[in-house]
Amino acid sequence: MSHEMTAGTESADLSAELSAIERLHVAGLHAAGDAPADAVLSVRDLNVRFNTENGVVHAVRGIDFDLRAGKTLGIVGESGSGKSVTSMAIMGLLPPTAEITGSVRLQGKELLGLSDKAMCQYRGNDIAMVFQDPLSSLTPVYTVGNQIIEALTVHNPTMSKQAKEARAVELLGMVGIPSPKDRIKAFPHEFSGGMRQRVMIAIAIANNPRVLIADEPTTALDVTIQAQVLEVLHAAQEETGAAVVMITHDLGVVAGMADDIMVMYAGKPVETGSVDDIYYNPRMPYTMGLLGAVPRVDAAEKSSLVPIEGIPPNLIHPPTGCSFAPRCPLASDACLHGEPELRPVTGASLNGGLPHRAACLKTGSLGPDVDVREVFRAPAVPVSHFDAIPRAERRTVLELRDVRKHFPLMKGALIKRRIGTVKAVDGLSFDIREGECFSIVGESGCGKTTTLLEIMEFHKDQDGEVVIGGLSNKEASDAKTKSAMRKELQMVFQDPTGALDPRFTVFEVLSEPLENAGMAKPQIRKRIMELMELVGLQPDHVNRFPNQFSGGQRQRIGIARALAVNPKLVVLDEPVSALDVSVQAGVINLLDQLRAELGLSYLMVAHDLSVVRHVSNRVAVMYLGKIVEIGDVDSVFDNPRHPYTRALLSAIPVPDPVLERTRERIILQGDLPSPLEAPTGCNFATRCPVFVALPPAKQEKCLSLEPGLATVAETTGAGHPFPAAPIDQQFACFYPDGELDADMLVVHETN
Amino acid sequence: MTNLNTVDPAAVAGEAKIENSDVVITKSSIILRRFLRNKTAVVGLVIFLALTLFSFMGGLFTSWDKERIDPFNIGMPPSAEHLLGTSQAGIDLYALTVEGTRISILIGLVVGLVSVLIAAVYGCTMAYFGGKVDKVMLFILEALIMMPALLVVAVATSGGGNGLQKSLPSWLLLIIVLLVFSWMGTARLIRSLSMSLMTRDFVKAAQYMGIPPRRIVWRHLVPNIGSLLVLDITRGITGAILAEVAFSFIGIGIKVPDVSLGVLIGQATSQVSTFPWMFWVPLTVMFLLTGSLAMMNDGLRDAFDPSSSSVGRAKRSDPGKGKSGKTPTTAGKKTT
Repeated sequence: MSHEMTAGTESADLSAELSAIERLHVAGLHAAGDAPADAVLSVRDLNVRFNTENGVVHAVRGIDFDLRAGKTLGIVGESGSGKSVTSMAIMGLLPPTAEITGSVRLQGKELLGLSDKAMCQYRGNDIAMVFQDPLSSLTPVYTVGNQIIEALTVHNPTMSKQAKEARAVELLGMVGIPSPKDRIKAFPHEFSGGMRQRVMIAIAIANNPRVLIADEPTTALDVTIQAQVLEVLHAAQEETGAAVVMITHDLGVVAGMADDIMVMYAGKPVETGSVDDIYYNPRMPYTMGLLGAVPRVDAAEKSSLVPIEGIPPNLIHPPTGCSFAPRCPLASDACLHGEPELRPVTGASLNGGLPHRAACLKTGSLGPDVDVREVFRAPAVPVSHFDAIPRAERRTVLELRDVRKHFPLMKGALIKRRIGTVKAVDGLSFDIREGECFSIVGESGCGKTTTLLEIMEFHKDQDGEVVIGGLSNKEASDAKTKSAMRKELQMVFQDPTGALDPRFTVFEVLSEPLENAGMAKPQIRKRIMELMELVGLQPDHVNRFPNQFSGGQRQRIGIARALAVNPKLVVLDEPVSALDVSVQAGVINLLDQLRAELGLSYLMVAHDLSVVRHVSNRVAVMYLGKIVEIGDVDSVFDNPRHPYTRALLSAIPVPDPVLERTRERIILQGDLPSPLEAPTGCNFATRCPVFVALPPAKQEKCLSLEPGLATVAETTGAGHPFPAAPIDQQFACFYPDGELDADMLVVHETN
Repeated sequence: MTNLNTVDPAAVAGEAKIENSDVVITKSSIILRRFLRNKTAVVGLVIFLALTLFSFMGGLFTSWDKERIDPFNIGMPPSAEHLLGTSQAGIDLYALTVEGTRISILIGLVVGLVSVLIAAVYGCTMAYFGGKVDKVMLFILEALIMMPALLVVAVATSGGGNGLQKSLPSWLLLIIVLLVFSWMGTARLIRSLSMSLMTRDFVKAAQYMGIPPRRIVWRHLVPNIGSLLVLDITRGITGAILAEVAFSFIGIGIKVPDVSLGVLIGQATSQVSTFPWMFWVPLTVMFLLTGSLAMMNDGLRDAFDPSSSSVGRAKRSDPGKGKSGKTPTTAGKKTT
């Protein structure tokens, strides 16, 4: 950067102390005709530096954009790419130690350099923010009404109490909270995560802001709730006419919402353009890689994902060449000399919004006809030798028969009395054959993880039978059988950091299960080298501690540990949900490959249906401890029968803007019912879109009878889980073909 | 990385190296290297080792011992014959200090190490098993905390434990008594720390691998509270030395004819102005002892803590590895 900011951090008002050069520079940034007249927010050359113990981290390196009223800008990037820092800099929420230069203008007024007090006039009034974690963004000791009214009071001191209350009720109603008049007196803990995020949105739009910044607003939420919240955001934008900055790592979420997209990498925008330009005509290898790395929930055809190797650069050292060059398969010598600037893409469609620009020397040669998989050398789709054998002829590696896990719910301080039962898992039966991947999907709280724990527990006193590799928990559960079982079954955890002992070197991590299996020292060493190679890690990294690896590499170590004793079945608990998109692709490819090469079976629990579709052969959809639909992944995903599966699938955002705009969505009302109020009939009746549209006579049946699993084929013999039906799909619903309630169906006919 | 079919020459070379066992560095040597990087800690260790050596070998440099009375030099200041002077009974103070230092170090080391060890195993066991085991063990712990340690020490070392006193030297008796009353606080702290560790996935992973509970406690729980343990050991040693000095000072700890630093200090306090050497010599030794331990403390924590700044510095000196990306936890305070 050519300009320097004069040091004057102790002063409350920075703008007064700006040097003449700086003032000229800022003025030059907003030269006449540069920013469009109707832009509510224009950002020019925004730079953020943090002083850390290791040196100065240049977290954001020159961001420009203009935002028009009513438009949505999506900022996409991996963690550490500077997306959140950008939003915090605009809001003036960064700590005083951060050095911010450039210019941020809200409706022509400069925001940078304003004191905290001066910023308060704008924050929550003209510019508002929705944060990522709804659980911690509301103060637990005030009612939600109080917190909305607080936002109103600060900016409208003259408003009467009645008016404020009325406005709060109106806002709660606007974000879709049922009976807002009563709920206004509720405390945050009485709301679920999705409801709290709605309240956050209500607070954000309370003063009709011109700009609404949403920082990963749905990352912490379930897919069905995510769909609800996105819908609310959409409605809020329409209501207030605000411009929205949507920050996310999920390319699917922004596809349907955004008008323009900015892809960030290493603190710099590397590609900007309208949403169609970015998704259908990416011109920067990083964007191409990101798009190729996302599995698609709507694609049956199996193709391996595009892995982007390596990790983002350390921003302590200014990059001398293209920051993406070390990970870019197309990088040449020219890329290493001088960082490429954003330049207009030739032949781009100019249909308003951001012009399509990309920061890559090779932009011209990267047309829409370039195959991403070829560019990134995505591995071929691995084929398991089990794929050729029909499922019925393969050996069963895991079988669950009527497994239940009920937790008693106690109340009372001294004398505990049982007030109910939480049926976390309620009569689960399925089996897994050799070489297949079986997935369990569902919202949080549906009993997925409890099922895994029940299997891993393997205890005689369990309710129901678990058979692992021919060993049943009922017959013998002495130490010997257990250790034999442990050799058949291993687990990979969700959080790769937590699953590795921080004090163990990789060598120790991997040697532990081998030592336990009684292997000799030289053999252990040989096996560990094998394992490191198998999961794609450098063998000489065995002496490192886990904290010296990136998230993806840590997950690879976790996988290597699980494979150490040559298990037949690996249990994967959300194996990629903690990883970045680009890294996630590499791990998914690895899992695919291992399954094919080693003939492994997987039992996977995941909430990301796209990942499930990509990896699995069979899938079970769980709702409140019960399987509501089970079967071959393609038949379940392409032709879902149970209304819940249909809602779940329609809620998944697809990284395809055109499809996303025209797709009809089933927005489920409300949240998972409390397990205490579990209905007697069909569990799903309280939220079911089909149920609402049914005539009362048929509704009666749903409420009184519990539907069993029925095959899609004409044989409605419920009970036996796996009949040799032509279609491998079963569902638990009386009226799968019933009409959907119109209120719950949302179609975006916009754009 | 995912393409396993290509043979990376660097990996092959690496593998060959590993076969020759050059690459696999044992953790103990990593810890030693890190410790040696902290200069203050090394100085502390040197002082401590020198004192220990002095307490064992010091007796060789003088012809006097702690029992022989020199009737011609009673209460004399330092001279050529008696390097540090003599006590009121005419015993060589140098010989007494050597003996006293040895007893004090012995008490400190044994009590410090063993009590922390007891606390670690006890606390981790409580946390690992939980439920009834936890309740019973916690009750025992609470009961011990309630007991007045000072009275028990007084009773055990003087009147009450006559039979014991005959069979055991007084320093051993003091060690036992100090041990019984020194581990509970640490054990409670360790229990709560381990309980939070128990919820971490790596403990679950070990359970699912079928590792027996004993080994999980020993290999996963104890090392993960390692930096705390190390700090507690050095603090425990200091504490034990000070407790011994305090008990001996008020006359209920080590009994004459056994000598310790506390006994020497206690005997000399009444005549600091007339016989200053009798007071200052053992006091200086005691300060050196506890001071050196405090200096070691910091270095030990650095060495055992995987996220300590010690790694960062090592990386910086090696330009080849310096750019290994952002590792958030290695950003320690001392790297700059």
